[in-house]
Amino acid sequence: MASSPRAILALTLVLGTLALWYVITTPAIAADKLIVYSGRAERLIKPVLDEFQSKSGIQIELLSSGTTELVNRLKAEGDHTPADVFLTNDAGSLEHARELKLLRPMNMREVERAIPPQFRAPDNSWIGLSGRFWIVVYNTKLVKPDQITSLLDLAQPQWKDKLAIPNSGSEYLQAGVSVIKATFGDERTKQFLQGLKTNAGTQVYQKSSQIVEAVAKGQVAVGLVNHYYIYRHLAAQPSAPIAALMTDQQEGGMGAIMNVAGIGVTRASKHVESAKLLIEFLVAQAGQKLFADLDKEYPLHPDVKADPALIDRHSFRAALVPLARLAELREPTLTLIEQVGLR
Amino acid sequence: MVTATRFNAPSPLQWVSVITAVFLLLPTCYIIYVALTATPASWSRLWSTRIPELLWNTLSLATSVALITFILGLSLAWIMVRYDFPGRRIWEWALVFPLAMPTYVLAYVYAHLFGMGGPAEQWWQALMGPEARLVSPQSFTGVTMVMALDTFPFVYLLARSALLNLNVSFEEVARACGMSPWITLRRITLPLIRPAIAAGLALVILYVISDFGAVSLLRYQTLTYAVYQQMTGRYDQTAAGILSLLLVVMAIVFLVTERWFRRRSRFYQTSGRYRTSTRHRGGALKTALIMTYVVLIFGAAFGIPAAMLIYWSVAAISQGALDARFFGFVWNSSFLSALAAGGAVLIGLPLAYLASRRPSRLNIACLQAAYAGYALPGPVAALAVLVLFTHFAPVLYGSIVVLLVAYVLHFLPVGLQSMEPALQQVTPNVEEVARTLGCTTRRMLRRVTLPLIQNGFIAAWVLMFLQIMKELPATLLLRPVGFDTLAIRVWLEASEEYYQLAAPSALLIVLLSLPALMLLVSKDWRGRHQEVVT
Repeated sequence: MASSPRAILALTLVLGTLALWYVITTPAIAADKLIVYSGRAERLIKPVLDEFQSKSGIQIELLSSGTTELVNRLKAEGDHTPADVFLTNDAGSLEHARELKLLRPMNMREVERAIPPQFRAPDNSWIGLSGRFWIVVYNTKLVKPDQITSLLDLAQPQWKDKLAIPNSGSEYLQAGVSVIKATFGDERTKQFLQGLKTNAGTQVYQKSSQIVEAVAKGQVAVGLVNHYYIYRHLAAQPSAPIAALMTDQQEGGMGAIMNVAGIGVTRASKHVESAKLLIEFLVAQAGQKLFADLDKEYPLHPDVKADPALIDRHSFRAALVPLARLAELREPTLTLIEQVGLR
Repeated sequence: MVTATRFNAPSPLQWVSVITAVFLLLPTCYIIYVALTATPASWSRLWSTRIPELLWNTLSLATSVALITFILGLSLAWIMVRYDFPGRRIWEWALVFPLAMPTYVLAYVYAHLFGMGGPAEQWWQALMGPEARLVSPQSFTGVTMVMALDTFPFVYLLARSALLNLNVSFEEVARACGMSPWITLRRITLPLIRPAIAAGLALVILYVISDFGAVSLLRYQTLTYAVYQQMTGRYDQTAAGILSLLLVVMAIVFLVTERWFRRRSRFYQTSGRYRTSTRHRGGALKTALIMTYVVLIFGAAFGIPAAMLIYWSVAAISQGALDARFFGFVWNSSFLSALAAGGAVLIGLPLAYLASRRPSRLNIACLQAAYAGYALPGPVAALAVLVLFTHFAPVLYGSIVVLLVAYVLHFLPVGLQSMEPALQQVTPNVEEVARTLGCTTRRMLRRVTLPLIQNGFIAAWVLMFLQIMKELPATLLLRPVGFDTLAIRVWLEASEEYYQLAAPSALLIVLLSLPALMLLVSKDWRGRHQEVVT
């Protein structure tokens, strides 16, 4: 015991040396690795990356985090970023990263053949990988599907205390509101948000999976989520009383709100060739199937079929707001959201 | 003579301490700068939308948790000091265990147990009919209960040691003068232990307003949680800066109030006569009641959640959760916490030493600067560190250095709280005696000073180690690629409601914390050198 302070000192010095060694050697280790910053839930991306790793022999290091947080991080790290690839679930964030010149324009024939142009940046600095729709999940015991024809219906007083929504930091919510704003203008969007706020009360969730859970348990009657959360829940609990509702399909209506998950290579990446291999893997038919099925999303490759459990992609229309516009719409949308005081 | 010249010119140590203080103040200054340079428009927007709700939520939560921890902590301390019952010595220890359970772990266990359709509700509905509902854990009541169950040991520990050190003659005089036991308690005992209770409650309140994990899992909006959301949900971090400033101000107000409370109620022992109380052994009924109470509180705060974690862990482990990856997380957690705690002890040493040995205005100011970290909750510390690094040392950004800096900044005050008194207790006389007996400086340090302060320093290290291992928001925001810790794993899995998968990591945090905690609260260990000092 008598030498404990010195033991602590010695321990600290030893650990400090180790830490220094760690810091110094990290870039060296990274030489044959591909570092992926991912805003997609870890268990929805890791199996795909593992598959790529075992096929290509390229080792992948994954950092899972929030999408906006990662864009902030990329911005802060600038040229020093260790990241080679940025993969996330929101086209608006990808486009924003492109505008900040964080991503690298890519010239890839395979990509242009596989992914239709409306789902990627003009210079391919980001490439969509799968489609996702912002829709209504409802409890089949509490709600008749014909009670809701448009997302805007959710703001009506009859849904007071019966609605669950994601919090305002959610990129899906921001993208969804951006589309509504572009379609209906500020005034109606504001009314819509006001209604959401009143109707949801304290039912504001960090994760969409929690919203689906709340609807399945009857805690609330309806919720706003991305479509795949419903199917993911149903896959685990087939008897859950929930269903997906595709809104705004009437003649001249807005259409369903679509977003894509996508990928981009960072401007600072030193492993562009490996990154290209990963993208080729993901846009090829097998990769598309794997990537989309894991999360019950819609593949963007026209020849790849979606999971049969999903609503047939040809049976509904998507909103006409181009994905790349989501980035420029985001700040004004956030201002609206904050003016209303959504959590 | 050598010492005399040293006093005049600023010693190298003094330079070190000044430079450290400046660095420790930088993040706070940065937060203030961001908030003050924000446009009036963003202030007024936040003020008209988010701030009133957040302030109200944070303050009401802090108040209600303080109230409950006061009742729980004081009553338990009273029972342990004044009554004797079977197994008392074990319970005396066990009641501190909840401190090893991170609030977010308690939150996720209770979110499962008492959530919609959870085991508790099923049982309740079987009993009361299918329409019966329990109070949701995702409510004000739920968050309050979780926080209170996790933090009452702060009050318990401090109140208990105050009661143990209390001179019973005061109470006896009061009783002899005809006061009822109840009035004696209110008029004599409580005022005497008020400083201890105030200190305990201050710890609780600071803990509550800076907590991130539990409130985010239970979806209760406090300022700290909102700062995190602003940081992760927006490109513009002005709003995060504004909300952070509010938090910093709030924490400072609490700290100042607590200091004032302590200063106002200082009591002195007037004569040498001092006795501690004897323990009563109540009747069978009283003993049974006391034991039920103690077991209930312990069960709710530690027993049930720990059992739940073990149960889930067994399931997760049988599915192969203990792979190489898992042991990587364990290593990351221990390595990082040990390193940061060690670093903080080294950094804090000159500050604490100078302030207690040469309490010049400058030296005390330097020490106070280190306490600035107290007012910086995890996400706020992370925000400041993140921006400072990306501006001034972008090369280091994304390495563990950034995390270490955030930890030291945030947890140094915790360590200083036991380093400072340890140094203060060594009277210069002892060292002077050693000198007159012919010790060299080095020999004096080794033979006299170090042995006297070592316990305080080990306590500081252990305390910081414990807290760093549980830390969540700064780690979430600043961790290097591929560097997940146990706390991160718990949070990632639990926030997706994969309770089983989160359990092994959570259980390991608790298990690693327990021995450290025991070491910390064992009175014999701490008091061993005290006789030398007084």
